[in-house]
Amino acid sequence: MKVSAMLNLAWKNSILRPGRMVLIILSVAAVLAEILVLEGFLAGSYTQLRQTVLRRGGDVMVAQSGVTNFLATRSILPQQARAAVEAIPGVAGTHPLAAIGLIYEAGERRSPIIVMVYDDAGGPFAMAAGKPPAEDGSIAVDHALAEKFGLSTGDTLTLSDFEFSISGITRGESALFTPFAFMNFDTLIDFYFESDVASDIAAFPLLSFLSVDAAPGTDPADLAARITGEVADAQAMLPRDLALNDEEMGRELLGPVLNLLLGLSYGIGAMAIGMFTFAAVRSRRRSLGVMRALGFTARHIATGVVAEAVVTAVAAIPLGILMAVGLAALIERVAPVYLLEVLEPRALLQTAFVAVALAVLGALAPLRMLMRLDPATAFRE
Amino acid sequence: MLNWTFRELISAPQQLLASVAAVAGAFALVLFFEGVFAGESDQIVALIERTEGDVWVMQKGVGNMHMATSFVSDWKIDAVADVDGVEKVTPILYLNSAIEAGGRNWFSFVVGLEPGDGRAGPWRHAGGAQLPGAGTAIVPDIFASDAGLSIGDTVRIAGRDFAVAGFSGDTFSMANSITFVTIDDLADTMSSIGTVSYMLVDAAPGVDPAILANRIMGEVEKVNALTRAEFAARDYSIAVQMGLEIVWMMTLIGGALAMLLTGFIVHSHISERERELAVMKALGVRNSAIYGSTMLQALAIGALAFLLAVALMLLAIPLTQWLMPKVSLAMTGEALIRTGSTALVVSLVASVIPVRRVLSVDPVTAFQQ
Repeated sequence: MKVSAMLNLAWKNSILRPGRMVLIILSVAAVLAEILVLEGFLAGSYTQLRQTVLRRGGDVMVAQSGVTNFLATRSILPQQARAAVEAIPGVAGTHPLAAIGLIYEAGERRSPIIVMVYDDAGGPFAMAAGKPPAEDGSIAVDHALAEKFGLSTGDTLTLSDFEFSISGITRGESALFTPFAFMNFDTLIDFYFESDVASDIAAFPLLSFLSVDAAPGTDPADLAARITGEVADAQAMLPRDLALNDEEMGRELLGPVLNLLLGLSYGIGAMAIGMFTFAAVRSRRRSLGVMRALGFTARHIATGVVAEAVVTAVAAIPLGILMAVGLAALIERVAPVYLLEVLEPRALLQTAFVAVALAVLGALAPLRMLMRLDPATAFRE
Repeated sequence: MLNWTFRELISAPQQLLASVAAVAGAFALVLFFEGVFAGESDQIVALIERTEGDVWVMQKGVGNMHMATSFVSDWKIDAVADVDGVEKVTPILYLNSAIEAGGRNWFSFVVGLEPGDGRAGPWRHAGGAQLPGAGTAIVPDIFASDAGLSIGDTVRIAGRDFAVAGFSGDTFSMANSITFVTIDDLADTMSSIGTVSYMLVDAAPGVDPAILANRIMGEVEKVNALTRAEFAARDYSIAVQMGLEIVWMMTLIGGALAMLLTGFIVHSHISERERELAVMKALGVRNSAIYGSTMLQALAIGALAFLLAVALMLLAIPLTQWLMPKVSLAMTGEALIRTGSTALVVSLVASVIPVRRVLSVDPVTAFQQ
């Protein structure tokens, strides 16, 4: 039996009962969408981690000696580090940055936030509304926090009894399930002195990182090595390396669980497709018996069933992608703290391949029934 | 009709098994996802719940430990100790930080302990020294095993190297592993000499912790004081709130998947039994009775799938602990109620799918062919 004939038979069987076929394709597409959403969640989380550093700009990032991450770590640079870095040939400019973890509370609802403090560079990457926090006492919060707590431009945001005025709402500034907020250094000093935060200001980071612009013609990697060698208590890295370290930490944090969930999803997919093919074979026992009576071998019929499952899976792939895109948009709308990259090419290809593999695997479920199919079935009922 | 429903359901046991397994998988996915958040949330409050203080004192304006920063001047330790009803004060320093070990970066809570004082320290000893000494750290046993660390190996915390002196148990989860060092070493690492992060206060016998917390706030300048239960509840709620939306979304996705699968199986049953249904209709069985039967089938599949999902989770909790100790899983009553309700709704909605099929069966077909 030729492949084209088998595919033709598989196609005809598939469209024999359109309602049932639609239900099967919808179900397989839902499984694929669910896998793509998980894959997109994982890919999006890693992107958020990388973007946090890369969006701060600069050719080189200087941190406390020994600190190799930007997020989820504490880096304190001595105040004199900035002058020391600027004195190095090849440095065109430096931009101070600080990062502080705080908890925002409104009634019984709480959310951790990471406050990014910046001077003339490294602030919000994109604004959804309003403007960056230029004035003293102003703060820009991410859309994720604004959405969750119903905040908008001009509102007051209270942190540790200090009242900030919201100057704008940023877009896509969050990582590790935590939204960011932005303020300038003058506001940070006011916050430290006027709010109920520690009386010992020395304990709080005033300078966490320095974003460094390399002079034209200067190799950033070479500049980073010179800064590390010449500035005491400081370590310079390329932003891309720092970003990769943060992504690596994210993989340690999220990888085991999400990979386990993905494994479970693949299992569900195999079981679901197995169930569909089993039901399809069972409902067509008589016609399959006729085929056996006409001389088709069990192997031919099994190949046809596998082809039918593959046709179903292939038909479900675009619908699954569409459903995943819709779900991702819904999740990002309801909870903008998450980024779901469901159209990531590697995940798409992998899921499409897995869908076909699951179809083949699932189609093997009724194999025993097919092998034992008696041509006499055609004449019973 | 009940008898027919039951016979229908078990007429193809393998198919029923595959259906129930697939639907259970969808529910298990939801329970598993929620279980991870619950497990992590439990671990977030491990330090608060497993140590002995009745009241926690921190910087004013701070009410959490997870992802929060608190600094209190160390002279306030004596001020708190002088408050009537305070038996003992144990200060700790605390830092959220990435730890480098075995060439990898891990997120950890680093706790600085007073030398020789294990009241806020490791609650389960798992090898080596019980408490950290100068320049050394006590790391979680699971973390050590995963990073390939032995006694004497080096871990790097916020740019400073510490030698591994011992291992602790029940102190690891993916987002919340706990590493112990001495308070002096951590103060040096954080450049925060003269400050502590939190104080664990033991109440004198017979003193109510809530009253003591209020008294401390009244008598000591610029501090916040919370009972252990209240402090733990606040941190737990942060963790839960961080995962709330995504858990709901996963419930929605898993529920929709389960609905389609259940709908398919009841639809299949109806499609395969059209002639039988026609005979039943010819004998006077009403559409509502047939429809009731499909609803019962869907409910049975939903209930079986839910029970199987719960059984899978009960199996997965110890199995995950054994095979993947990095992953903390827990099952909460709330998760069971939510998923159980979803199973009920899913079954009822799924049973609507074959309604058109049931209504379209013509009794005359029973006498044809």
